[in-house]
Amino acid sequence: MKGTNLGEFEELVLLVVLILQDDAYVLRIKDEVYSQIKRNVAMGALHSTLSRLEKKGFLASEMLGATKERGGRRKRIYQLTGVGKQVLKDAKEQRQMLWNQVPDYAL
Amino acid sequence: MYNSKGQINAFSIRLIRWLCQEELVEEIEGNLIEYHQQVRDNPVRFSRLKYWFQVLNYLRPSTLKKFKNSTPRPMFIFNPLHTIRSLVKQGASTIINILGFSLGLVCVLFLYFHIQSELTNDNFHVDKEKIYRALRIANPETNPELIGVTSGPFAPALQNDYPNSIQSVTRAMPADALVTFEDKSFIEENILLADSNFFSFFSYPLLAGTPDQVLAGTNDAVLHKDVARKYFGDEDPIGKIIRVDNQIDYVVRGVMDDMPARSHLEFDMVLNINFLDLDRWWNNGLLTYAKINTPQEAAYVNGQLDQFMVKYFGEHFETNDFRMTLELEPLTGIYFHEGIAFDRVRHGSMNTVYILGAVGIAILLIACFNYVNLSIAQSFKRAREIAVRKVLGGDKNRLTLQLLGESLTVLLFASAIAVGLTLLLHPIFNNYFQLEVVLNWSDPTLLIFGASLLMLTLLVAGLYPALLISSFDPVKILKGGKSSSGKNVMVRKLLVVAQFLIAIFMIAATLLISRQMQYIQTKDLGFDRDAIVMLSINNGNIRNNLEAFKEAFADEPDILSITAAGGEPTGFHDITLIELPGEPGTKRINIGWGDEDYFETFGIDMVAGRSFAQNLESDEGQTAVINQEAMHMLGFTLDDVLESKAIISSWNLNVRIVGVSEDYNFSSLKNQMEPLIIINGLSPRRIAFKLNANNLVSAMGNINDKWDQFSPDYPMQYEFLDESIAQLYENEAKQSKVFSAFSAISIFLACMGVFGLATYTARQRQKELGIRKVLGATAQQVIGLLSKEFIMLIGLASLIAIPTAWYFIDQWLNDFAYQINILSNWPIFLASGLAVAGVAFLTIGFKTYRAAVSNPTESIRYE
Repeated sequence: MKGTNLGEFEELVLLVVLILQDDAYVLRIKDEVYSQIKRNVAMGALHSTLSRLEKKGFLASEMLGATKERGGRRKRIYQLTGVGKQVLKDAKEQRQMLWNQVPDYAL
Repeated sequence: MYNSKGQINAFSIRLIRWLCQEELVEEIEGNLIEYHQQVRDNPVRFSRLKYWFQVLNYLRPSTLKKFKNSTPRPMFIFNPLHTIRSLVKQGASTIINILGFSLGLVCVLFLYFHIQSELTNDNFHVDKEKIYRALRIANPETNPELIGVTSGPFAPALQNDYPNSIQSVTRAMPADALVTFEDKSFIEENILLADSNFFSFFSYPLLAGTPDQVLAGTNDAVLHKDVARKYFGDEDPIGKIIRVDNQIDYVVRGVMDDMPARSHLEFDMVLNINFLDLDRWWNNGLLTYAKINTPQEAAYVNGQLDQFMVKYFGEHFETNDFRMTLELEPLTGIYFHEGIAFDRVRHGSMNTVYILGAVGIAILLIACFNYVNLSIAQSFKRAREIAVRKVLGGDKNRLTLQLLGESLTVLLFASAIAVGLTLLLHPIFNNYFQLEVVLNWSDPTLLIFGASLLMLTLLVAGLYPALLISSFDPVKILKGGKSSSGKNVMVRKLLVVAQFLIAIFMIAATLLISRQMQYIQTKDLGFDRDAIVMLSINNGNIRNNLEAFKEAFADEPDILSITAAGGEPTGFHDITLIELPGEPGTKRINIGWGDEDYFETFGIDMVAGRSFAQNLESDEGQTAVINQEAMHMLGFTLDDVLESKAIISSWNLNVRIVGVSEDYNFSSLKNQMEPLIIINGLSPRRIAFKLNANNLVSAMGNINDKWDQFSPDYPMQYEFLDESIAQLYENEAKQSKVFSAFSAISIFLACMGVFGLATYTARQRQKELGIRKVLGATAQQVIGLLSKEFIMLIGLASLIAIPTAWYFIDQWLNDFAYQINILSNWPIFLASGLAVAGVAFLTIGFKTYRAAVSNPTESIRYE
């Protein structure tokens, strides 16, 4: 298993999944990423990141909610696991800790 | 993305379904459909492209289907690696296998090239299907005899009489002559005198000159490039003037290239034929060719030729009670058509081609059997490897493929080595077998032959071991049991029997053939063949001064006797008709010419009467000596034959028989004894010298000196009688050589097969032998035990090989009127069986001895 370190994009994806809650599936994540931080990501790329995060145990997924505009196909809804949340919090705290040490005049 | 109905692109969905993991398809499809809806509702630029970008972007390792079973592909991909690994591991036996196979392939390749060049004779002529040669048939009803030569008027008469069928005709005549250019002069033996359309009729290649022009003039000549170089060096030969026989000047108009294949005509200089007298119907000596468009028309013309002959020869037939017909023979059949009288073209022997082909196949079979035996013997070492592979999930088909791959690798290696060896050994082969095999690698049929040979050997030699080995039962092997069933051993024994069979056959055939050759070479022919040298009387200086030339040697102690003769023993004897005065009917007889020293020079004994007398004018053209056969044929006895008269009307001779000679073999030993008459007359073609065998060199020097005094312009042409006799049996001598060489190879290869089987047996019975030794068996007993089955195999092989060889040799000997008795040569069969057995035992002994003397604890330690 890869280490528990998060990559920048992975961290981003985890946060978006957390924001979207019950609506966190690939296309929605893609749109959210685009609308919030103007990054255009292909669904394929998102898929592989998501499944990697799932493999690492940070995400869990479930097939849910077939809608008409999806031609009756269900979507895979992602959800953060406890480990995922912990890793995300750790990452935030690490940064916060580092940010706190940055002297005011340095910026 | 939109299509006309705003529907989603079906292909993109199919692509996803086809390539992506099934559990992901629903989700991906859903996303794509939703994306598609989005784009349709809020159109943006390049939406179609963007859609496809999303589709293709989905195709990545995390979404693509995993291949069901990941083992097959890697195994297939690593196949060559496994192959090389296992071949290297087998080391020595791989080398033996490869070398053995190469050896077989070298033989096959060489024989292929030889047979190929024989079979493609004359195939380069554009009109080869349309060209026919005229053959005369003498006595078609009673005693048909094919005659290869015709006279000058045949060609124009044929064209005149059948203008609708016969497109064109041409004539040619082989000759030899003295050719001079400035200070260079040579006797050219391969001259062809030919009609002006010769080069456009046939397709012999020209380097310079146009086919219909090069012989157009009566003094035009065409030279082969090598001959041109001989006379003119590097100068341009065109326009040079050469003098032929110091009489006629010819202008070189064209230069010939090498022939692209064998041809029945062999020449390196062509001269326009017109200086010959071509109008006499009885002046035979020409080859007449006709070009006819279709086989149907040729058949029609052939049917008319009886009438044709009656039209031109009818009168002669009536007065002489003699018949002759004409037949058109296709060009492609000429080369292998042997047994034609007065045939002045080159022939190949179809028999030899068959024999060589059979030998090639036999060698290939031995090599294949060998491969099978060796690789099965080898399979033992691999039994465990195979078993482990199977346990780990390698399936049988793939193992078979893997093993076939190994065979193919070995075969390809062997082929590469064989090609190299063939190139290397080519001159040695040619020299040894006296052949002119050309290695024509660019021949497209070679590719087909090579590829099919490879496939065939792969099937014959590779498939059986591959199937056998891959069907090993892993459980039995890993438990330590036997890895092969009795049936397989049976097959392998059969292969070894087949190898022994071929080897014994080859040895017996070789020995019998060489016995026959020896018999021919040493048989008392009724005349002397040693230390006799014959000069051709090739010019007027000698012909007109024969007596003086003979006189010049009177004091030479090393020259025992000299005769001027037309038809030396085994040389050319014309056939003519003889009759007795006052008796009806004529009989066929061979005729030769000799002077008073003829019988003494050749050491022929007289049974009655005398030889020709010296300086007896009354003798010349008047007296004759006949052999006993002729005496019986003419109905004489020793008491009444002398001083009898006989008439030979075609030569206008009325002779008195003065002596009867022993029956000596004046022609090849392939022929029965025939009646012969030697006339004391002067139609000599050769001078024969009986030399003192101890001083051949100085005697030859003397003869050459005298020749130069008498005939300074003409180089001396000579031939030793024993050598020219040997030429009669050239084909057989070649066959004999081929057999001895290839039987050696076949024995060698067969022994390799035996070695394989012996290895196998010894290993198979290792434990049994160990236990036997522990229980008190001696090494000798063990060796005996192991050898017993080989004795049976060899016995079985002999049982089949000996009758086969007997039959074959019997057929082969049919060509000879004088032959050895096979039955009285029975020790040869015994010897061949024993020889094979002996060699086999040496081979087996090496293996079994080790098994027999090995410490039994080694073999029974593991259980």
